[in-house]
Amino acid sequence: MINIRHLSKIYHQEKSKVVALEDINLSIEQGSIYGIIGLSGAGKSSLIRCINRIEEPTKGEIWLRDIPLTSLSPDELRKVRKKIGMIFQNFNLLSTKTVFENIAFPLRLNKTPEKVAREKVTELLKLVDLTDKAHVYPSQLSGGQKQRVGIARALVSDPDVLLCDEATSALDPKTTKQILALLKKIHQSLGLTILVITHEMDVIKEICSHVAILENGRVIEQGRTIDVFSKPGHGITKHFVDQIHHLPNHLQNGKILNLSFTEGSAGEPIIARLIKHFDVEVNILSGRIEWIQEKPIGKLTVEVDADSPQWMQIIDYLEKNHVKVEVVHHE
Amino acid sequence: MNDFIVLLLPSLGETLYMVLVSMIFTVLLGLPLGVILVVTDKDHILPNSFIHSILSYMVNMTRSLPFIILMIFIIPFTRWIVGTTIGTTAAIVPLVIAATPFFARVVETALREVDWGVVEASIAMGATPLQMITKVLIPEAMPSLVLGITITTINILGYSAMAGVVGGGGLGDLAVRYGYHRFQTEVMLATVLVLILLVQIIQYCGNRAAQILNRK
Repeated sequence: MINIRHLSKIYHQEKSKVVALEDINLSIEQGSIYGIIGLSGAGKSSLIRCINRIEEPTKGEIWLRDIPLTSLSPDELRKVRKKIGMIFQNFNLLSTKTVFENIAFPLRLNKTPEKVAREKVTELLKLVDLTDKAHVYPSQLSGGQKQRVGIARALVSDPDVLLCDEATSALDPKTTKQILALLKKIHQSLGLTILVITHEMDVIKEICSHVAILENGRVIEQGRTIDVFSKPGHGITKHFVDQIHHLPNHLQNGKILNLSFTEGSAGEPIIARLIKHFDVEVNILSGRIEWIQEKPIGKLTVEVDADSPQWMQIIDYLEKNHVKVEVVHHE
Repeated sequence: MNDFIVLLLPSLGETLYMVLVSMIFTVLLGLPLGVILVVTDKDHILPNSFIHSILSYMVNMTRSLPFIILMIFIIPFTRWIVGTTIGTTAAIVPLVIAATPFFARVVETALREVDWGVVEASIAMGATPLQMITKVLIPEAMPSLVLGITITTINILGYSAMAGVVGGGGLGDLAVRYGYHRFQTEVMLATVLVLILLVQIIQYCGNRAAQILNRK
């Protein structure tokens, strides 16, 4: 659906240059919800803005199906943009227009006949559950309601892709959940491709089927969300996983392992066998089930009292039994 | 009392005529000028540093002349435009020339206050630059623009007091001729009162209109 090839973005400031994106390669499948997560300054915003060319890429190509976005003329680009919906962190609604007119705005740009516009907007007001707010102004709405107007406005011209630029970052956790639920509902009912950028692990966990992790303008990991986060390979990925889970410092003094149980290993009494087999003491520090994309990952943090040769054997044994092992602390 | 009214009414009429007509032309010329100043700035929707700096320079140049000097300086231009250099209509030309750059700067400030995110959203929706100007920038800046029009109107009212120099008449001229040259303090007082009242009315209407338009 969206193919990004060797994308780079460099900002030139007086004499100095800042590399925001470096050689990004991503392919986003039709109908997926693709998350891009990174700390602030990682280049996420530049990346999503390069896709509809609100910012011009310095190098590289972006394809939307068979359309080369990066080489379109201004006129062609405007046409394609109408099929790429976008929602923003600060909603960016017109303050002098009512909710109804805000949603109708993209249709007004196309001079859509009044009757068609009215029907379309009414339908979308219903979808985002704001029918009773049609004639109020954005200043009278809560943050969550404003974002729902933003979503309705982005959907009014029947886009193929929805770009979400930190769409929930200005909202409280409860409202965030509602907006994510709405995005999920839209994704299921309209089947459009959604690209989400965020710094919140919860957003990725909740809705994204695929994820790419961005650090210093580079993609350092990408793949199915469940794969990337069940065995985080890079420091930054671990950082995002730790957003959901944090082990108190006073517990971190033995030999500690993080174990992830997925489909292949969840049915077996692996820990019990481990204790018998190696005759070691295993102290369970924490355990929980993470739901990533509605699939469970069992996470267990254990302290194992074993000497070094045994230690390696234990890790071997666990990995053979399809448990993903991460050594947290090894004295 | 009757004498007063006979004196005041025509002058008030002349003042209103000068201010109103000047204001119409000032908005017609100053609004596009202000818009062009904003959108041609770098990082805006139609960056063009050549046009931007030329216009900006011209605006600054016109604004650096005191009105009374400008009025005399452009007499040949006035003749070319309206065919005469004296009278109320002739006073309108320098009034417009003086107020347009002022109003253009007011428009520029008002448009720069528009949240850039909203402009960006319209870019993402595939709006053309002209649509961004007419459907986003100007409507979103409307409350500030109305206040700007108010300030400019009051400014023109102030300038119009000097229109007497070219025989433009008006309240200012009346105050000078009767109140100052003929020592009729009552006339001076009456004109001042009328002017104060006028400014109050203009400001009140402007504030109300801006308040109604402001949905923030």
